[in-house]
Amino acid sequence: MNENVIQVENLVKYYDGRCVLDGINFVVPRGCIYGLLGRNGAGKTTIIRILLGLEPPTRGRTTLLDAESTSLPAKIRGRIGCVAEGHNLIQSYKASRLIKLCKDLSLQWNDELFNHLIETFRLPADRRVRELSIGMRAQLNLSLAMAIDPELLILDDPTLGLDTVARRQFIELAIDIIQQQGRTILFCSHILSDVERIADRIGILAAGKLVVDCPLEQLKERVKKLRVIFPEAAPANLYLTEIINQQIEGREMIITVANWNRQKQAILDTFKPSSCTEIPMSLEDIFIECTKPNLESVEVV
Amino acid sequence: MFALIKREIQDHLIYFIAAALFSALLITLSVEAVFRHDSRNPPVVAIGLGVSLAAIAVLGICGMGASQMYLDKTRRISAFLSTLPVSRSRILLARIAAGILAILILLVPLAITANFLLRLFTPPIPLYSGMVWEIFTATFLLALACYCIGLQTGWNSSVLTPSLGGLGLTCIFVPLVVVKGFGPEIMVILVLFISASLFRTWHNFSSTSL
Repeated sequence: MNENVIQVENLVKYYDGRCVLDGINFVVPRGCIYGLLGRNGAGKTTIIRILLGLEPPTRGRTTLLDAESTSLPAKIRGRIGCVAEGHNLIQSYKASRLIKLCKDLSLQWNDELFNHLIETFRLPADRRVRELSIGMRAQLNLSLAMAIDPELLILDDPTLGLDTVARRQFIELAIDIIQQQGRTILFCSHILSDVERIADRIGILAAGKLVVDCPLEQLKERVKKLRVIFPEAAPANLYLTEIINQQIEGREMIITVANWNRQKQAILDTFKPSSCTEIPMSLEDIFIECTKPNLESVEVV
Repeated sequence: MFALIKREIQDHLIYFIAAALFSALLITLSVEAVFRHDSRNPPVVAIGLGVSLAAIAVLGICGMGASQMYLDKTRRISAFLSTLPVSRSRILLARIAAGILAILILLVPLAITANFLLRLFTPPIPLYSGMVWEIFTATFLLALACYCIGLQTGWNSSVLTPSLGGLGLTCIFVPLVVVKGFGPEIMVILVLFISASLFRTWHNFSSTSL
């Protein structure tokens, strides 16, 4: 059995001649919570749709639980829970009918967990899905995905439309699931604090490329934002590789560098700065730096 | 699979009820035609009404196929079902099974009634053995062919081209039945058409984005 639950190899996707995904490669090992980030239209949902076999790739190969995404057998699908962006439920059905349909089609169904979730979220089963609020739809979708005891959970912006309390409940629930052995989660969200809280590996998509793919802690260590003060005017010829962002104002230079290491520190030291202090960066800061539109090809892997 | 077929039936219940009603109406008309049979005054109105109802029923079956696919596309039903342990082929298979069931609801009572009436009354024209079975099979295949046209029409984003194509094909099939009768030749043609049409529908359905 392969230890990588998700494998994406050289994935390319074109829409109407426009390249949306340009040679994406990443793996998600068993038990990992992978946070896939990117700005709107970066291609996160496209990756998920290709992984689930809803969309054919232009080139490349993707596998889920050792099965090709393009021909996922029902047995494998039964081990995957999915919460889609926009909560793509059958809107014309009553919630009770949708629940029954999912229960009938599922390979396994955890009634106890499902009823607990329905009670926690106070979901009305007698109303049509289209009559439910966006938040309620998200909760219903999440409950349906959880009820099958998934080995792999794919969450595409699951907290979209949830209020603060429901979002917190969801995160707590996700942490519960994480604690159960062997569960793997692919998590896309715009709320970076949520991702930072639960993800242990991060992927950042920018301009169709995966510019970041590494553990969260490593990412924070590798991407450094430094405030460097020079005795005289900051040098314009400070050539470091993998500079994500650089701002110069008089003697002060604020520089964000990927894959920070001793060599880069040594190069910086040759310019004899008066002081060099590190500015702490949250995941949100790193995300903003890495997804700047004018950023040259810098990869943190 | 049963859950998928049940879902199709519940979603398109109106077509099943209509098939049963049409079948009942056609049975009533044929029984009336047999009982009031007079060689000098044939029941023209009943026959005309029967033919019109049969034509509407065939169009309805075509409409059912189109409606199944169109609603799936607009409501993104398959996109949701594909996140469950269900393959696209099974979704389509369940859909076709529901369509066949609707056709059978329309035709089987008619075939049984025709068999009964032929045993009770002497037919006005001599019949060879297995003629009713042959007519029933050919009618079933004709209805299935129309259903397949509906399936293709409903899944296409451009409605006009497949609709015109479907209309053209119907215009070919009906005169074919009139000229060749309900013989084995027409059955072979219909089976070939149905196979090609189902293959194309399956190919389109399983290869496009959901």
